[in-house]
Amino acid sequence: MDISQLKKSADLSYDTAVAKRNALEKAHARQIIVYREHIFRADPQTICLVRTLKETNDTFFVLDTNSNPVEITDPTGFLSKLIERNQETLNAYHQTQQTFTKKGA
Amino acid sequence: MSRGVLLFCFDTEHTRYHRLLEKCVHLIGKNLELPITVITDHDTFNKIKPLGFINYKFIEPERGNTKMGKSWNNADRHMAYELSPYDTTLVMDIDYFCFTDNLLQFMDTGHDFLIPDQAHDLTDRENLQHRKWSMVPMVWATVFIFKKGEKSRMIFEMIKYIKKHYSYFNKLYRIFSSNLRNDYVFAIALQQLGGFVGYDKFPFALSTLPPDCEIVEMTDNGIAWKHNDQINFIEQQDVHVLNKEVADV
Repeated sequence: MDISQLKKSADLSYDTAVAKRNALEKAHARQIIVYREHIFRADPQTICLVRTLKETNDTFFVLDTNSNPVEITDPTGFLSKLIERNQETLNAYHQTQQTFTKKGA
Repeated sequence: MSRGVLLFCFDTEHTRYHRLLEKCVHLIGKNLELPITVITDHDTFNKIKPLGFINYKFIEPERGNTKMGKSWNNADRHMAYELSPYDTTLVMDIDYFCFTDNLLQFMDTGHDFLIPDQAHDLTDRENLQHRKWSMVPMVWATVFIFKKGEKSRMIFEMIKYIKKHYSYFNKLYRIFSSNLRNDYVFAIALQQLGGFVGYDKFPFALSTLPPDCEIVEMTDNGIAWKHNDQINFIEQQDVHVLNKEVADV
């Protein structure tokens, strides 16, 4: 294999790594939601916590991103919003990933 | 409760900031749909093309500050509280381009003041970690939201105090650059007023294109840039562009 092909492959790997990092950052920014005047991140930890607490409680407290306690009085609605936003962002991330897979990265 | 965006725009002999304003306003109208007030001077205003229903307020900018040897009229941000006609105000640099509606939801939080303290380098070189250039945890005054009230009023009073005595605070916090940077002024004010403990922040990093990135295209959805002979792009993500030549794209 000649060196130009290796360089091309290295460049593609680098481009893919940068694009993935940017796409992930974009997903993280989009995962933030405001619910009843408080800021949350629709990440796996929040989703799992809300789902776990919801199993045994009709209302409960969680911390927002600035560590303020927030009473959740509508766990079903809140969980639904979290999941919807989480999947919206990961779907977009997946599409970016697919673009690079097609390029051979 | 009124809500809106406050922008500062002053042309200099080197940079046609009004061209940035035109792009910035277009994207705010498309993605945030909030009323806009522009703080400017008459010379700049005369060059701005018609932008629709925009509220203009005229001031004479404080001059004398520089960045990389060029004039930099950035010293009026401390007056945002008095200049804003809104109850909840989103203040943005005009080189911050909203390709999403992500910021809109923060207009409805219970927080009096929100500002980001992280930046994400879109070229993945991590060269925006400014913590090592001072003794104060950095914030990015590129974008912030405040609600009018006692807490925000005190924050701006503190900002004015820090700005007035900036040469002292610049040395106290061992800030590498001696010119006035709002990022440091705001960071010091928030740290001092917060009792050196903490303050509320946006939980995201500002996606930023460093100054050495040449902007090759900008559309309503995103931006493409050239760096090290490589062209890259991002869509549906708000971007802070440090290369002011974006005005000519």
